[in-house]
Order: sequence, then C-alpha cells, then structure tokens
Amino acid sequence: MAASIATRCLRATRAPCSLFKVAQAPIARPSTRFPSSAFRTFSSTSLREVRKYTKDHEWVDLSADKTSGVIGISEYAAEELGDVVYVELPEEGKAVQAGDAIGAVESVKSAADINAPIACRVTSVNMLLEEKPGTINQVPEDDAHGGGWIAKVQVDEAGVKDFENLMDADEYKAFTGSDE
Amino acid sequence: MASAARTLVRSRHLLPQCTTPLSSPSPARQPWRIRGNCCRPVPAWLPPQPSLVHRRLFSAEAVAHPTNRVQIYVSRSHNPYLNLSFEHYLLQKSHPDSVVLLLYTNRPCVVIGRNQNPWLEVGLGALNRPELLAPVSRVDGEGGSGNGSGADADTLGVQLVRRRSGGGTVFHDLGNVNYSVLCPPAAFDRDRHALMVVRALQSLGVSSARVNERHDIVLADPDDAARQQTFKVSGSAYKLTRRRSLHHGTCLLSTPNLDRVGQFLRSPAEPYMKARGVDSVRSRIRNVGVGNAAFEEAVVAEFGAMYGNVDVETITTRDIEEIPEVMRGYEELKSLDWIYTQTPQFTFSTRSTEDDPRPRPPLPDYLPKDFDLSITARHGQITEAKGAGVEASALDSVYLHKVDDWRTLIGEAAGCWLNGIFGARPK
Repeated sequence: MAASIATRCLRATRAPCSLFKVAQAPIARPSTRFPSSAFRTFSSTSLREVRKYTKDHEWVDLSADKTSGVIGISEYAAEELGDVVYVELPEEGKAVQAGDAIGAVESVKSAADINAPIACRVTSVNMLLEEKPGTINQVPEDDAHGGGWIAKVQVDEAGVKDFENLMDADEYKAFTGSDE
Repeated sequence: MASAARTLVRSRHLLPQCTTPLSSPSPARQPWRIRGNCCRPVPAWLPPQPSLVHRRLFSAEAVAHPTNRVQIYVSRSHNPYLNLSFEHYLLQKSHPDSVVLLLYTNRPCVVIGRNQNPWLEVGLGALNRPELLAPVSRVDGEGGSGNGSGADADTLGVQLVRRRSGGGTVFHDLGNVNYSVLCPPAAFDRDRHALMVVRALQSLGVSSARVNERHDIVLADPDDAARQQTFKVSGSAYKLTRRRSLHHGTCLLSTPNLDRVGQFLRSPAEPYMKARGVDSVRSRIRNVGVGNAAFEEAVVAEFGAMYGNVDVETITTRDIEEIPEVMRGYEELKSLDWIYTQTPQFTFSTRSTEDDPRPRPPLPDYLPKDFDLSITARHGQITEAKGAGVEASALDSVYLHKVDDWRTLIGEAAGCWLNGIFGARPK
C-alpha cells in the first residue's frame, strides 16, 4: 500500500495550477476505445487499445495485439505535482521491470520518479516534453502527437501479465477518489 | 535565550503527539559494530514518553527494520558526496513507514540541482581554489575521523556536486547545517519540515524566521521592515520515489564566506547560454548567527516533538565508508559523468538569436572582428557548432568538461576567451 500513496499526499501542497481547475481529473475513459483514425495516426498497427492505470499514477495503453504500448502519467498525478519544469525522459532501448524508475519529472524543486507500469522495453520517447515540459500539465493522458505521453514501449508476456493486474479507468477513478 | 528555548519546546510536549508504538524487539545487533559515539541523553525535563526511547546503534539491518519507525542520524563527515550518498542510502533502505532525520555539514562546495547546468549556474573557474575562500575555510576541520575524506581531502577549495533532488544551486561550507527528512509519501508536504526548522530557529530566539511561498526559510530584514524585505537562510529540495519522499534543506548559520559566495554562483557564460532544465532563483542571503550544535539540538528536539524521541546516532566517515552501497553511490556522485553529462540540452551563442534574443555583452578586442560562435550541447557533449572567425567544426562531439584548454581546439584568441567563459584552467 505504501506504493499506492505515492502522490496523493501532494495535494495539500502543490503549487497553484489553475489549468486544472477546469479539467476533470482523472478523465474517465472507457476501458476499450475505438480510435478515430483522424487523431490516432501514430498507431497504425493496432485497431484498438486498452488503457490501464497503476497505483503510482502511471497509465499504459496496450495495443490489441499485446506487443506494444504507450505510457504516461495520469492527470491526477500531473495535477498533484504542480508545474512541471523538466522531464527526464527514459533511455531508448532500455528494458525494465514493472515499478522500475525509468525517468523523472521535476516540479516545484521536486524530482519525482516516473516508474514503469509494466515490464517493457522503451522503443521511443516523447522528445516534445524536453522542449515543452508543461505539456505534461496540459495533456498528460494524450497519447497522440503533441500529447503528454512519455514513452512508447515494446511488451512481452511478462508485461502483458503485469498489465492484467492494473486498474481500468473506472477502478482508477474510484482509487483516486477514495484517496481524498 | 537557551532557557527560553527549553520552555518553548517543553510546552509543545504537553500537546498530543504523533507517536509510533514500538512493538516487536529490535533487530539483531552485530557486536563488532557497536561504537561509543552514541548518544545524546534524553533531557530530564521531558515528560515520560510512551516507550519511545529506543537505543539503537548503526547497522544496515536496523535502518530497514520495521520497528525503527523513527531514526535520527548526525553525520560527522564533511564530505559532500559521502553525505549525499548516505542520505540516498537511507532513502532507499529505511523502512517505508519510517521517518528519518539526518543532519550533516559539508566542507565548501557548490551543490547544483538534479536538472541544472553547471556551466550556467556555477563559476567553474573559481572551484578548487582555496585562496578564494575565507582563510578559516581553507582547512577542512574534520579532525580525527581516520583517513576521513580519502583522496578528496587534499582538494580543498570549493567542490562541485550534483544532487539527486530537484531545485536550484546552493553554496555549503562548515557554517551551514543541512537537514534531511525522509518519510512515507503520504506524509509528504513541501512545508511541513521547513516549518519544523522554523520552530527550531524560533526556539533559539530567531523570532522572525518563517517559510515563504518558495518553501525557503527567510528572516525579516530589520533595516527594511516597511517593505517586508527578507534574507534567505535556508533553501529546500525534494526527491520523490515510489515508496519514500525526501525533503532536504540547507541552513546558513555562520558562514565566513557570505560575501564570497557570489563568485562561485555566477557564471561568465550566463549571458550567452540558454538551457533547458531548471534555473536557480537568486536570493539575498545572511547567516542566522547560531552555532551548529545548538541548531542541531533544536532541530532534533522539534523532530522528536513531531514523531517521538529517539536517541541520536552519530555517524562518522568511517561508519559510512563501511557500507558498500553507499560507496557505490559515492563513486557515482563523484563521477564527472553524473556531474556534467546529466546536464539538459543547452545552446551557447555569442550573438542574439531567435530563441535567445537577449543583447550580448561586447566581446573582447582580441577576438577577430567577425567572431561568432554558436554551440548546441546535449548531455554535456557538443552536437552542433557553427561560427565565423573560428574553426567551429573542431568542436564537434567534444565533451565540454573534458576540455582543459580550449586553445588546443580552436586557436589562441578564441580558446583563451572560452577558457574564461567555461572556467577551463590550463595546467
């Protein structure tokens, strides 16, 4: 349970971040989404993806063929952290286990680890975040071009197994709701 | 003043406290590790605590043991890399539910934040030059701790350190005590332990101490009360991991280098550089004017009032050096790779650019009239160099921190100028 409370505590102390007063957090996405081709040009190999969340407030999309995914931090986490001033991106090509620190986000003098939600290998990272770290505050759960996603990953059986144990959007919403 | 302080502390003990019962027996001790360097006796004026006084001596097992919910360490090492490595070890090893206080004092060093740029934040040319410090700071003063700081001991002057937490650049010396609190993430609050230190300062009679909106501890400027001007005496930084949160801060008590700090925290490259990552915010600083021991005692008392009193464990350099994980972290923190190549991408241009339109200071006369140089560097390595009046292509792929003398790369005039700008000191 210790892990489950990784960021809930930040609520009391975060820097004012008016951006989020208008956003509902976390956005309840349906657990299965049928992508609109107009917006989802980047993932040509998957017909549909499933998004799940960790207790550490990361999200991961798993492609329909269960071989690739996209990871990021949740709206809830982005709001808790306050204004992000730098994102240390994961190393491309790196293989990690679930829970391993793969990068970090700096906000309000705090360096916060980004943890791998599932076992995976990082295939590419979102370079936009290095230039515009505030994107994490604006659209943390957007996995499209211009969004705040952090990395694209390759997934094997171990990763799929990790994935099955994560929370779907409704469960995560209940989880963060019950935190307050 | 001291007796007033005691009264303040005592009255707080009458309030309900957050206490942690210690139920199961303490972990096995390794007799050979027992040292006689513990412990501050519990003051007689303390009211009886619900079984909180718990004698413990340093062992790796004890750090992680679930019964050790409250731990207090004072490091007597002055080696900044060693102290930061020990702190990181406690962050990783202490039980997820425990609350740990660590106090330490470093010899003169400049500590940059995790995502900062040393060429931008630090007067690199002023490092490792003892003559730039106040005379009293030119010796370490870490007497009697064995080989102590090892090979570093002869490198007096200011050292450069990159910490693992966020935030900006600070100067440390022996007149500055650092506090560090590790706690479960659920208890993390950016001001909670800064306020603890404020109470400690107030118990020492420093009544104007308060935490400002940047989570710094400031004192009122008595000469400018009307405008509510303040002096910063303490800055904070944080590191958050899955299981633990760390808040550490400085407290400037009696540095003899107050008016010398600027030369270490100002870079001649600043007008030319634009960096990703984190900028420092300059603040007026001053000394609190209390002794290190008094401050340590007051912080320990306030920490005890919050979480329960336990004995303070004094840690020597040798204690720390016996922990293999700490030594691995120590080597990493000392490595030039960590200090320099962790730097986020930056550009350097001698002329105004679209991205960085600031007007530039005039260049020295000894440079060619058409001199122009622009550099992009990633992880401390030059990825692109362009220019006029200089053979910029010679800079391709160069690691900035590995250049002892820029003249060997780009000739006498430009090299001489860059040596000054980037703080290279030809041997």
